[in-house]
Amino acid sequence: MVYFAIGDEDTVLGFGMAGVAGRIAKNADDAKAALGEALSAPDIGIIIMTERCADLIRSEVDAYMFSVRFPLIVEIPDRTGSAPGRPGIRELANAAIGISV
Amino acid sequence: MRNLAPTKTNLLKLKEELSFAELGKDLLDQKRGILVTELLALEDQAVSYEKSVKEALAKAFETLEDAVLAIGKLQVLSLSSAVNMDASIKLGQRKVMGVSLPVVDTAFTDRAPYFSALGADFRVDLAVKGFREALGLMGRFAELKVSITRLATETHKTIRKVNALEKIAIPELEQTISHIAGRLEESERDIFVLMKMVKDRLAAAETEA
Repeated sequence: MVYFAIGDEDTVLGFGMAGVAGRIAKNADDAKAALGEALSAPDIGIIIMTERCADLIRSEVDAYMFSVRFPLIVEIPDRTGSAPGRPGIRELANAAIGISV
Repeated sequence: MRNLAPTKTNLLKLKEELSFAELGKDLLDQKRGILVTELLALEDQAVSYEKSVKEALAKAFETLEDAVLAIGKLQVLSLSSAVNMDASIKLGQRKVMGVSLPVVDTAFTDRAPYFSALGADFRVDLAVKGFREALGLMGRFAELKVSITRLATETHKTIRKVNALEKIAIPELEQTISHIAGRLEESERDIFVLMKMVKDRLAAAETEA
């Protein structure tokens, strides 16, 4: 199993340097096509997506996150960092348990 | 409260339903406890991983930018295509309360050096190293993040189910049961009085005769 990167040019180039194949996605259609390609490839185990890119096709990504087991999708911040106000892991977990700190 | 005929059969049925609902609530409550424990155990790890992934990525992007500035994007691109490194992942899964959680194992096969030192720049090597480090963290991070997302959804669902049983279904059943039981008692008393009256009248008729 291998990784696959979907995101902007720099992200794909960067992960390309570590031996990860990738597709550049600039808009929602690109992202959808790239995700479809990654999902249909049998040897891809983890899809690395930039948050910006995942936000373009949020509903597809979310639907996939909960339904199918593999490949996994992991969202990473791109070179400009995370968008402000984006819920982190702790917020996600706390919201589920129903406590606020 | 449910609109049911106040009969003994219905009462028995409802009592059975109530004990079933209570059993279900207890089980779901236990499930919720286990899920929350698991979630909290993973949460701390995930948060620290998230932080280190972010740091590693920020550093990697910085070095990549340096490399691009030094020798140009095209050159970096052509050099990066020469990088001969595979990251292979082994995926497994474990189950917690019916939620399948991934387990990721990443192994690198590195066949350095990738390109001649001539014409390359040390910043490219730094960028390669930076992204490799980020990728090394990525496997475990993906595992934790997906696990937490799935656990969080499941926990949320379970809490809703427990609440629905505890706050709606069980009180409704209890109310219906007490209503039916009251009605049954009432009609029992009615019949008792009726029987008494019949008996009195019969006795009166006998003394008259």
